[in-house]
Amino acid sequence: MSIFTNKSEKLFIFFFFAIGLVIPLFLADNVFYINKISSMIIIAIFVMSLDYLVGRSGLITLGHAMFYGIGGYIFTIIAPEYETVNFWIYTFYVMSISAFVALIVGFIVLRTSGIYMIMITLALSQMCFYYFADSVDYGGFDGLFIYIKPETSIFGFNFLDLNNESHFYYLCLLSLFNCFVFFKVLMKSSFGRVIDALKENPERATALGYNIFHFRLIAYVIASSLAAYAGYLFALQYGFVNPSMMSWEVSATALVMALLGGLGSIYGAILGAFAYEGLHYVLEHVTQYWMFFMGCLIILMVLTLKNGLSGLLSNLVGDKENE
Amino acid sequence: MSNIVLEAENLCKFWGGLKALDEFSIKFYDKQIHSIVGPNGAGKSTLLNLLSGAYQATHGVIIYNGKPITSAKSYEFCRSGIGRSFQKTNIFHTQTCLENCCIAAQQQIGGSFKFFQNRNQNKFIIKAALSALEKVGLTERAKTKASQISYGEQRQLEIAMVLATNPKVILLDEPMAGMGHEESQTIVKLLMTLKSQYCIVLVEHDMEAVFELSDLMTVMVDGQHLITDSVDNIRSNPLVQDAYLGNDDEVF
Amino acid sequence: MDTYFFLVQLLNGVQYGLLLFLIASGLTLIFGVMGILNLAHGSMYMIGAYLAYYFTALTDSFAIAVIISSLIALVIGLLIERFLISHLYKRDHLDQVLLTVGLIFIFNAVQSFVWGNDPLGVEVPSALSGSIQLTELLEYSDYRLFISLICICVAVAMYYIINRTKLGMLIRAGESDRAMVENLGVDISKLFTIVFAIGVVLAALAGIISAPIVSLVPGMGEHVLISCFVVVVIGGLGSIKGAFVAALLVGIVDTFASVLIPEISSMSIYLLMSLILLIKPQGLFKS
Repeated sequence: MSIFTNKSEKLFIFFFFAIGLVIPLFLADNVFYINKISSMIIIAIFVMSLDYLVGRSGLITLGHAMFYGIGGYIFTIIAPEYETVNFWIYTFYVMSISAFVALIVGFIVLRTSGIYMIMITLALSQMCFYYFADSVDYGGFDGLFIYIKPETSIFGFNFLDLNNESHFYYLCLLSLFNCFVFFKVLMKSSFGRVIDALKENPERATALGYNIFHFRLIAYVIASSLAAYAGYLFALQYGFVNPSMMSWEVSATALVMALLGGLGSIYGAILGAFAYEGLHYVLEHVTQYWMFFMGCLIILMVLTLKNGLSGLLSNLVGDKENE
Repeated sequence: MSNIVLEAENLCKFWGGLKALDEFSIKFYDKQIHSIVGPNGAGKSTLLNLLSGAYQATHGVIIYNGKPITSAKSYEFCRSGIGRSFQKTNIFHTQTCLENCCIAAQQQIGGSFKFFQNRNQNKFIIKAALSALEKVGLTERAKTKASQISYGEQRQLEIAMVLATNPKVILLDEPMAGMGHEESQTIVKLLMTLKSQYCIVLVEHDMEAVFELSDLMTVMVDGQHLITDSVDNIRSNPLVQDAYLGNDDEVF
Repeated sequence: MDTYFFLVQLLNGVQYGLLLFLIASGLTLIFGVMGILNLAHGSMYMIGAYLAYYFTALTDSFAIAVIISSLIALVIGLLIERFLISHLYKRDHLDQVLLTVGLIFIFNAVQSFVWGNDPLGVEVPSALSGSIQLTELLEYSDYRLFISLICICVAVAMYYIINRTKLGMLIRAGESDRAMVENLGVDISKLFTIVFAIGVVLAALAGIISAPIVSLVPGMGEHVLISCFVVVVIGGLGSIKGAFVAALLVGIVDTFASVLIPEISSMSIYLLMSLILLIKPQGLFKS
């Protein structure tokens, strides 16, 4: 059974990863662009986890960056400062600790819904932001540095060197691919059936015997720990973490990207992240007041595009019905 | 008489000062259709919402199979076998009819916490969903999106979803609301066949259908129990005629 | 802590709370009536403050600056509602949120284009630059009292408008049952325009009158916005009475926390909010 929902998705994923695989060969001597694309991929993972939460589960949050930041901080705090650690083991640590945090946070925020939840997630992430910004132990506004990058051996077999930009790029690309497949499988699963149901009509889902709180909590934990994974990759790429990772602007921008890509389409997260970041990059070079044009574009997009870029793509390719 | 399945004792629901339901007691028997009638605002929907766990009672008890379940969570009512349909069509419009029933069946059959198994791999769920669709006569519509079937069919689907949860008690909130005569007859026939297997509680304004279907009838007025009796006795009861059927201009 | 010091802190807390109320009431009014979460609300606060700076410098009179700036804010509010938000009433909440995020970008860019990124300040108007002597060592600034007074006047005016006038009746009706208002033959789009403009002016006014006591920096709007969210969440979404109580509570807690427990002062209001939500998930006054 195919994991793809429609033709446009299949086409996009095929082309994106095909190009993604070969592009370092053309950019071999341009480390700057490889780093840039890696960071865009990391953002795409983050946006994808948000898209699952907002677009698939109907849980609107403006505090998702909290987990992005937490992911980075967890690694920096628990890993010994001057010792090489294993990437995969620490992936496990980072994701399980952030899953635990998400469980507690979810327990509070999921008592509410809708606009209320937007505000509470926002306030909680601000609280977290100030906690790290004020803390002496964690470096305050300057954050913490990572001096030694982890190694990636599995059973003694080491094929990726994280100090090499191209290797790191491939790790990001692989992560994005896994993330995409994971979310698609999750969407098509029996669990996904309940998530679809309670997004569309929570009242009826309750009347059918589902404890919607449990399902929302699980979706929240899954999305949050993947956001933390993205934050972990971010920390490894730049070699530091700081509170601005979890500022509300990061959450809001990610939401803009998810909407730009087309909410709930999962692959739209990649589209949205790349379109936004690409545009940002170009505008930034043209004018220092890029925010003005970005704002105008966002408004224009809201007024004209209903299902974001993935909806546009779907129309172009001529999908019969977008799910 | 068969067994009592569901029972309410001195059930009350107050909204601030308003008594939507006041000291209401009633018994429902297995394999019977028990209709609840009364003018608008009599508290019929409130009663149904209490019996299905959607509301919490102000006080009073609900007894199901001999055990009180008044304090159970709303989702536990369905799990224990009390299914309900809604007055306003309440289905998953973006999903197919089959998927609608699968959602309903999956809760009872299990697998909701399987994250990596494709949802269509569990044959038991599909089978239960198909059989529910078959019971209401929507088999050909299985692959059609719920938003694209007719209103009458949506009402049938609504009932199919309740059946797919494998209930003992079915609470139906105006299943014929907004239907033409012909469509209503489909539902009447359907309920006749379902009677042999379930305890059915029917709230309905279509009096013709109610008199045709019911084994027992309860008349409610102003949140209070007026009378419970067989259809024939209700028809001839002067109290009912006076208080309800007679001097009320409303057409049901 | 001696009594006078306590009193001054209390006055500061109340003054800050009243200012928060001024902003939060606009936010909660717009949400209550129109169902729109206006994230650009904080930007209007910022724009108000910068406009006050600009016109004070231009006209040399703070009073004139207050009037001109408020009028400009009113026009901005009307334009935004008519040309942008009115197209989105039938759309998803998220689309509206996204639109207001776009507005934040634009306002921030305009601010940095016109006024630059260096901190600016407005002088306290000379008539109010004095202070009241509480004891030999403690005094309290006239201007802060003036701010509190303005906020109280606005609160009273709002109370009067909402409970005593036809407009207020429509606002209350619009909060509880929008379809009903439409069926009564009221032009709902006009009501929405008015409510949105009022909300924007309230935010801008808060920015204008607080310009002399804060430093004008980029991003000042976002900071205020988040505090307002806390107020609105604690008070109960859409409830103006709740916003009033919650704003005072937040103002006082924030002020005292920064004096008594500086280590966690920036977290204090969020902690307060989490505590209240654990007890009352819908806020203190659910509307």
